[in-house]
Amino acid sequence: MAADQDLRMAVDIGGTFVDAVELDMMTGAFRLAKAPTTPGEPWRGVTDAIAKLATDLARLEVFIHGTTLGLNAVLERRGAVTGIIINDGFRDIFMIGRGNVPDDHMYDFQYEPPEPLVKRRRIAGVGCRLDYKGRELVPLDETGVRAAARHLVEEQGVEAIAICFLFSFRDPAHEQRAAEIIRAQYPEVKVSISSDIAREHREYERTSTTVLDAYIRPIFERYIDRLSGALDDGGFAGRFLVMRSGGGAMTTAAAKASPTQTVLSGPAGGIIGAAFMADLLDRRDLISFDVGGTSLDVCLIENAQPVTAHEAELEHYPLLIPTYDIRTIGAGGGSIAWTDEGLLKVGPQSAGAEPGPICYGRGGDRPTVTDAALILGYVDPDRFLEGQMTLDVAAARSGIERWIGAELGMDVEAAAAGIYDVLLARTVGAVRQVTVERGRDPATFSLLAFGGAGPLLAPLVARDMGIREVIVPIVPSGFSAWGMLGADIVNDYARTDLRLLDEVSADDLESLFAAMEADASASLADQGIGADNAATERQLELRYMGQEHALTVAVGGAIDRAALRRAFEELHEARYGHAMEAPVQILNVRVRGLGIGRSPTVAIREPAGGGPERALLNERPAYCFARRTMTPFAVYDRARLAPDDRIDGPAMVDEGTSVTVIQSDQRLEVNRYGHLLVTSTEGA
Amino acid sequence: MADTGTVDGATLEVVRATLLSVAEEMRTTLMRTAFSPVIYEVRDFGISIYDRNLDLIAEAPGLTRFLGANDYAVRKVVDFVGVDRLAPGDVVLSNYPYWNAAHTYDATLIAPVFSDAGGAPVAYLTIRAHWLDLGAKDPGYVLDSTDMHQEGLVFPGTKLVKSGRLDQELVDIIRFNSRMPDAVMGDVNAQLAALATGQRRMQAVLGRFGPDRLRRATDALLAYGERITARGLADLPQGEWSAVDWLDDDGIGDAPIRMAVTVRHSDGRFEIDFDGSALAAKGPVNLPFGSTMATAKVAFKALTSPFEPTNGGQMRALTVKAAPGTLFHAVYPAPTFTQWTGIVALELIFKALAQAMPERIQACSGGDVPGFMMIGTHPDSGRAYAISNNESVGWGATARHDGRLAGSHLAQSVVRNTPVEVLESKTAMRMERLELRPGSFGGGRFRGGPGLRRDIIFTADGEFLTVAKKTKARPWGLSGGGEPEPTAIVLFPDTDRERRVGTARTAVRAGDRVSVLTAGGAGYGDSADRKAHSEQEDVLDGLIG
Repeated sequence: MAADQDLRMAVDIGGTFVDAVELDMMTGAFRLAKAPTTPGEPWRGVTDAIAKLATDLARLEVFIHGTTLGLNAVLERRGAVTGIIINDGFRDIFMIGRGNVPDDHMYDFQYEPPEPLVKRRRIAGVGCRLDYKGRELVPLDETGVRAAARHLVEEQGVEAIAICFLFSFRDPAHEQRAAEIIRAQYPEVKVSISSDIAREHREYERTSTTVLDAYIRPIFERYIDRLSGALDDGGFAGRFLVMRSGGGAMTTAAAKASPTQTVLSGPAGGIIGAAFMADLLDRRDLISFDVGGTSLDVCLIENAQPVTAHEAELEHYPLLIPTYDIRTIGAGGGSIAWTDEGLLKVGPQSAGAEPGPICYGRGGDRPTVTDAALILGYVDPDRFLEGQMTLDVAAARSGIERWIGAELGMDVEAAAAGIYDVLLARTVGAVRQVTVERGRDPATFSLLAFGGAGPLLAPLVARDMGIREVIVPIVPSGFSAWGMLGADIVNDYARTDLRLLDEVSADDLESLFAAMEADASASLADQGIGADNAATERQLELRYMGQEHALTVAVGGAIDRAALRRAFEELHEARYGHAMEAPVQILNVRVRGLGIGRSPTVAIREPAGGGPERALLNERPAYCFARRTMTPFAVYDRARLAPDDRIDGPAMVDEGTSVTVIQSDQRLEVNRYGHLLVTSTEGA
Repeated sequence: MADTGTVDGATLEVVRATLLSVAEEMRTTLMRTAFSPVIYEVRDFGISIYDRNLDLIAEAPGLTRFLGANDYAVRKVVDFVGVDRLAPGDVVLSNYPYWNAAHTYDATLIAPVFSDAGGAPVAYLTIRAHWLDLGAKDPGYVLDSTDMHQEGLVFPGTKLVKSGRLDQELVDIIRFNSRMPDAVMGDVNAQLAALATGQRRMQAVLGRFGPDRLRRATDALLAYGERITARGLADLPQGEWSAVDWLDDDGIGDAPIRMAVTVRHSDGRFEIDFDGSALAAKGPVNLPFGSTMATAKVAFKALTSPFEPTNGGQMRALTVKAAPGTLFHAVYPAPTFTQWTGIVALELIFKALAQAMPERIQACSGGDVPGFMMIGTHPDSGRAYAISNNESVGWGATARHDGRLAGSHLAQSVVRNTPVEVLESKTAMRMERLELRPGSFGGGRFRGGPGLRRDIIFTADGEFLTVAKKTKARPWGLSGGGEPEPTAIVLFPDTDRERRVGTARTAVRAGDRVSVLTAGGAGYGDSADRKAHSEQEDVLDGLIG
């Protein structure tokens, strides 16, 4: 880092806003700016948000970017014209998939799948075959590769080609040679090979991952190049990093080579931030609870580490990439409330930003969660979005009366509270699900609430689930961008093995790890990471012979197979409640390369003395879920709260872009960093 | 709390969502702890929650026919054991086919839920899952049994857990009667763990709402289910329609077996009547009545409320009829192991309905689930294996679009196939081809989805099992749509031993080959009305010649 590079910047693209944050590495001070998202030209919203911060780009040490570009390209089918090359005789692996319909279409016998990313005419088979041990049964037909490429490029006009051969995770030579031939023949065509992206077993899942990679690559490269150019024009000379879906960030060069790693990175910044908070506050077990306008993302932080998965799904396409294990439910401020045969329902339809909730007065005529929040007194109609917009309370009230209250025979407050009850039931279900999957009791976690609506909803969730504490960070609506600032550079490597642990010698394993670490180190060096800041981590995914699910065991120091087996059994016992006699099999060997950055400084604030009255704005009636009635709530200005302030519910803390609501059976305390801690008064 | 008023619409939805999340958590626990891939990969299970009257109040996604089977089993089994003999902490096991509504290897565990106030159970939890082996006459799967006693150990309704204590003697009996005792007990433990999760959550639900309010809420939810169905039925024409189809054989003889159904809809009542079907078969294709009801419920559900989570109220308008002693109402000791009958019958019901409402029904799919399994000893490990795959078939066309390409059959739409790389690693099969079959579907204004072709070569000796029950009668088209060739399984193709089989157990040697050619779906409407553009697309995609 040059002496004058003392700032970091992170930019996070959301559905409605681009958030840009700037952090001063010396003082820990940070600033947030928002600009509207520009779906047609996504880079423009990014440069708009950066311009609002008016940062001298030459002072940036690092620029970190979280983008959903790849995700959107798939959702909107705007990716490259893509072809597939696969073994002769297996042309339809990608089309057939695993044969199942989505769970919610279980009884839908007229199911019509979405348009596939690749048409059958753009899938070609070429001669070559390995057996399950990676032994060559049929050599690669190089003439066939050329003919297939000619057909795909010249007749079908493909811009990107995915290559996936059976058992290539055993030996990638055929895939590598085929790619080499095509790249020589058509240098402008992007070629993705499965063994580079996911060296793991199961041919459909691997093909699907490779296809997604090829599909988004051209659009992703153009975007990154364009943004790099704009930054460089502003005098930027630091490191440009892109967020990964499963932890950390990667350099633009690595991201362009493997854009699949970025597709589910939207919520990743908040989760890195949550892990950082878990360390900082010594709350080792946290639930990251991120509520935006249209969706709610939940992820578990166990022992200060986010829970990760090695497989994810995008539009029902499986992706063999490491991701944070995030549960998303489609519910947010815009979700529409309606009735069905006497039951109150919330979502999945959303009024979105346009026409929006009734109270926005932009033509929305169906009541939403935001309209309910207004009726319940949680939103100040005159201070909404820092006073930039006035809300129509009367219209919201009559909408809820007409569509909900009259239908169900409830008065308007009860109907609005009912909308929250229903939203809460779904939310609690999602939070429970992530903990139950890990065999954990949710009551032993703290809830970290962020996103615009997180601080309102989280204290209600905590009450319902017996969670003892809700933590609201500084500027919760910009927390996801803030979290990105702490991202390390991460590269993951995996190889499917499938041998029994007892059958592999420690030397064999050691040399396999060493070879993968050499790849990881070389890649880190290529990305400009000095040896002082580079590290690697080893993991084994183990399972009992015959099982499908595997557990990940960290491998440290010399390889000791007996110790590995013990570690696996302890984990199995903890997670599944039992261990077994069966032999243990290695599913995947994993290595993670880390380029460790500096942790951002977090400013410690001074108590202000004199109690929270200095921050008291007013008192207004709002709905108390403990008393189940409208109750006077004291409203405080967050900017004027200070460490050691204590407030008993019912109360609200308003900060313009979000409101923390403390029910009458809860209390709030401000810690030395200025975070709000909401706890129960019962049993305390 | 003497709370006797009605429960408001918000609370009803909260109770509904909470009960669904209990079922979902049970499912998560089962999949997390299960031993066999049939459960966690193929999803061969059904999880349901019942109220005090044994009416369904929540279920988790699983095999559709399993879910309906639970409804029948829980009534029969609780009746057999006696409500007054159930105590907190009990778990009852049943796999008696005629009560349990499935073959002997699909075992159901039932746990009563009591409130603190005591008295009768306030709810029941059930989990049905496929057990790998309970000592039937052959390993893997039974294709040709002639009575129930060849199909393994049977429990009518037996307490596996008594007041919280696992009955070790019963466990020993299960272990000593299974060829795969560790795998079976691993899965039993997973089922018990899932029930324990359900118990804990139900106690929390009772604590939150109280037994009285919960009872009134679930009563109201059942009434809600009834209204949902009434709304669905109101859109449908009234009348009476019949259809006939043929099952290949009974696994013993060669004669096709007649399946007939009459569907009657009038004044909000819906009746599915299997009168006219064959008498009980000699081989194991007979359906216990509960299994027939489950099949009928799947069709009824798809017709009236496909996107709603199921509850018992939705089924109140439905009556199912089949005379005891017939194919659709097996009575002791009729064999019932290979219940493909229910798979084919599901589409038979649609065939009857299509006469009245072709625009709401899909043409016939490839017809059933052509399944195969290989049993042998792995050349590398020397260990025994039995690995199966549910083959995909094309789906039928509809009034609005072409049929879905080769996928899991309607009757088990969320089930997954077994990857090539898994089959080749775990068995002595190597695939030489796995592709869609051009021209394997019925044409029409909208065409059926293509079926597939899989060519297998064996790399070591073993046994190859196939089950397919619709390889003789063609899938039926709708409104003039085309009807494809049925599924064919060809053993030893292009040799002097070549023969076609449906359901068979065959010894195979290294170097032998098998081809599985599954049928595509049938078409909808006249092919003269097909858009030229759609036709060109199919040519470009190589789906027609």
